[in-house]
Amino acid sequence: MPAFPYLFPNSFPINLTTIGMMILTGLIVLVMLRLALRKLDMRSPRGMQNLMEWVVDFATGMARDTMPGEKAVQWVLPLAFTMLIYLFVANWLGLICTIAIHLDKPIPWLGITAERLEAAHGEVSLFDSPTANMSMTLGLAIMVWVISHARGLRHPRQYFRHFISPSPLAIIEEITNPLTHGMRLYGNIFAGEALLGILLGVPLLFGWIPISLPLLLVWLFYSAFVSTIQAYVFSILMCLYIGNKSFDEGHAGH
Amino acid sequence: MFETGTFIVSIVTFLILFFLIQRFGFKPLAKMLEQRRLHVERQITEAEQNRAEAEKLLAEHRQLLEQSRQEARQLLDAARARADEQSREILAAAQAEAQRLLEEARQLIERERTEALNAALNRVAELSVELTEKLLRSRVSEATHKEMVEEAQKHLGELVC
Repeated sequence: MPAFPYLFPNSFPINLTTIGMMILTGLIVLVMLRLALRKLDMRSPRGMQNLMEWVVDFATGMARDTMPGEKAVQWVLPLAFTMLIYLFVANWLGLICTIAIHLDKPIPWLGITAERLEAAHGEVSLFDSPTANMSMTLGLAIMVWVISHARGLRHPRQYFRHFISPSPLAIIEEITNPLTHGMRLYGNIFAGEALLGILLGVPLLFGWIPISLPLLLVWLFYSAFVSTIQAYVFSILMCLYIGNKSFDEGHAGH
Repeated sequence: MFETGTFIVSIVTFLILFFLIQRFGFKPLAKMLEQRRLHVERQITEAEQNRAEAEKLLAEHRQLLEQSRQEARQLLDAARARADEQSREILAAAQAEAQRLLEEARQLIERERTEALNAALNRVAELSVELTEKLLRSRVSEATHKEMVEEAQKHLGELVC
């Protein structure tokens, strides 16, 4: 478990690696989109444009499956598209590479204290999946939760009725849903990266035979699969939660 | 190890990134897709309209063709009827003319025959008169002469009439 650099480590800890990686992910997504849009052509799409159009189609299909009506689908489509492609890139970044530096001296003002450094064997992670951080995924989940409730409050009567009908026990979901929503993503990505890190740390046999390589490859493929699936799962659950509280079309959702 | 700072800042960061991606990445793409959808819709509508129009035109043409065919048949029938009538008229006229000519010729012949007969009779009468005169001049008295003339006149009258 590597250490991370923090801003305001004692009062308001901000994980600089996670935030930096979030911004990097956003920039990568933006650059990919701009590349795809460079030669935007309605009649003969080619290259990246096809890929991005496919992603939009995919996001639309996902939203249509989970939202009660076409108006809600169009409302959530930008968010669903962004979430899908953003999480995909974010999950994959940690698989493509992780960068950690080895520090001998603690840097207290960045939260890298002596005992933390010792627990991490001197490793300080600088390049990692932003989604391998619990606070970040919970942040996204809570954001989705707030958005869904804000949208639900557009129609207060139906909104308040849907808590007690069909069963008041459904209120529990309002707490468990965002928690599982965030923790699921975090757990999957973090587990993938943690095991990758451990496999990479296995000592070489006789100093040169990488015995963990087959296992590493298998786990890498599995993690790639899980990363893709989790991006999809998080996005579709987001659509589902928002769709459940969209009462635009006089439909109580699914 | 929940980090309040990371939690809040990541939400803010994501919202900012979402705004940027949505504004500069998704919007043009969605606009283009919408344009394409409208374009395709318009094309389909136009194609349907054109098809309907073409079918209408085809039906119209077919109807016109049928109409003109019928008209041609009518014209042909009328022409044929008229030609029949005309030929019948011409034939009738020709027959009448021929009849007339025949009649005329017959009358002419009759007349000429009569004339010729009359002429021949006159000539015979003259010749008989001359002959009789010549004979009588030599042998017959005045009285006999007179009697003979009367008789001859009577005969002539019978002959002529």
